[in-house]
Amino acid sequence: MSQRTSRIRCHIDRPGFSLDVDVGWDERVAVVFGPSGSGKSTLFEIVLGLERCAGAHIRIGGSTFDDEAAGLYLPTECRDLGWVPQSPTLFPHLSVSENLDFGRARAADRDPAARKRAIEVLEIGDLLGRSIDQLSGGEAQRVAIARALASGPSALLLDEPLAALDLPLRARVLPYLMRVRDQLDLPILYITHDPDEAQLIGDIIVVLDAGRIVASGAPRDVLWSRAVLPLSEALGLENVFEGGIRREHGSPTFVSNAGLQLVLPVSLDGDTRVRIGLRAEDVVLAADRPGKISARNVLESRVIACDDRDGDVYVSLDAGEKLVAKVTAAAAAQLALAPGSTVYAIVKAQALRRLG
Amino acid sequence: MNGDLSALPGIVALTLGVGAVATAAMLAPAVALGFCLARGNFRGKALVQALVAVPMVLPPVAVGFALLILLGRNGPLAFVWSALDIDLVFSWWAAVIAAAVVGFPLLTRACEQAFGEVDVRFEQVARSLGLGPLRSFFAVTLPLARRGVLYGSLLAFTRALGEFGATALVAGIIPGRTETLALGIYSRVQLGDESGALALCAASFAIALIAMLVAEGWLRRSRP
Repeated sequence: MSQRTSRIRCHIDRPGFSLDVDVGWDERVAVVFGPSGSGKSTLFEIVLGLERCAGAHIRIGGSTFDDEAAGLYLPTECRDLGWVPQSPTLFPHLSVSENLDFGRARAADRDPAARKRAIEVLEIGDLLGRSIDQLSGGEAQRVAIARALASGPSALLLDEPLAALDLPLRARVLPYLMRVRDQLDLPILYITHDPDEAQLIGDIIVVLDAGRIVASGAPRDVLWSRAVLPLSEALGLENVFEGGIRREHGSPTFVSNAGLQLVLPVSLDGDTRVRIGLRAEDVVLAADRPGKISARNVLESRVIACDDRDGDVYVSLDAGEKLVAKVTAAAAAQLALAPGSTVYAIVKAQALRRLG
Repeated sequence: MNGDLSALPGIVALTLGVGAVATAAMLAPAVALGFCLARGNFRGKALVQALVAVPMVLPPVAVGFALLILLGRNGPLAFVWSALDIDLVFSWWAAVIAAAVVGFPLLTRACEQAFGEVDVRFEQVARSLGLGPLRSFFAVTLPLARRGVLYGSLLAFTRALGEFGATALVAGIIPGRTETLALGIYSRVQLGDESGALALCAASFAIALIAMLVAEGWLRRSRP
């Protein structure tokens, strides 16, 4: 584990709260996933050096900040981390532009173009002259992310950046997060309790529950795994896809990055890059191709796996991209579902939800 | 002497001077101590808080007597005053020191409260952006607390203007040197110069009113 580019080892034991973590990874974008109170934000405070604990080892993207064995401990201001805490903590006595200037001393050393790039990626050029109380919630969150990026950080720490926003606003800000992820080659540590975000953003997920790591690995595998499913389902787990929109015969058609095609309701027509959510229980399975049917999507699919969990069967399908359907055990038995068999996955266009 | 107003401008100037210098002198220590009390979590914090508050509730005359001993040529700090060859007692500086000691608790309390209302997250964010503790204090904490600090300064200033008991004891009532408005009113009443006392009262009222108007203006104008 010690040769991994990122590693967090820490141990805190207090009355009513304990945190015991030792995890390493090489992936660029890591998601820390867990319910509220699981210790996610405390983990960030340790990574930032705001909270100190014995026996710690903190390394993010190859930079070590805290290594008790080697006698190394950097104070917060020397860690070169770009941090976006929960609820935007923009400095209310400064304008947007002055907020961005806050980390300029460090940016001058590390990355003089950081400010300009942050403004471009988050498209806040028009907001620079505003005062903080003139920003909407979504704008404030974009500025907060830009401020962190403008300081030329060696890694980005995002703490539930969408949690404070209502659903429509979330869908407006998520694309910016995806741009930050895709256009900047920066190690990212992302805290969330939202399975959609975890699946879309993370290269790796670390699941934290009650201060302990429950699982880690590829987000789509881990969140749907037997060990994590009760937790992730309670937090709203669903299928998520990222891709583009094509227009055919008047209906917008979504084509995922892996090639899954879904006809969308006209109301979801829009940008070329979109993310779509689909609940596993909204997928109907049929043994034969149905005739006339209102559902717009009938996907000939191959069954990858069937997993019976207390009478609910989670059927993993290859429909061009992995898709999970949740059916009753009785239904699975009637269709004689087994790995390798062919089924038709039926998805109403109206069951599809635009995430951003 | 009755009704003679020629001394009034001098008394007003002296009073304002004593108040301003006393406030300026206590500002930095009060800000520092107020911040430590607001953010720190150290043993004996409650004792420090109580000690800071004591001059506020102690009879000012008692404070004055303590100062008289401390600043006197025969007190425990006499060697300091001898070494520096200064006589503080009954000097203009004694009036300043008395005013500062009595005003200090007000200002410190105001600062502590003002800093307590600044979310510690702001300082943490500033530090994450590369600012050391001192720079983050001056760039974020102090500007965000400025309203409370200014208000506290004005309170301490007006308290200094009205200081009587401690000043009378340690600085005396020496016209042109230590006779402030409050002391001047007292001495005029003692001498039966009612109209002179009334004039000084009117001046006190005017200064207090202006100070409070300024304070309210600050409170309304400054952004949170």
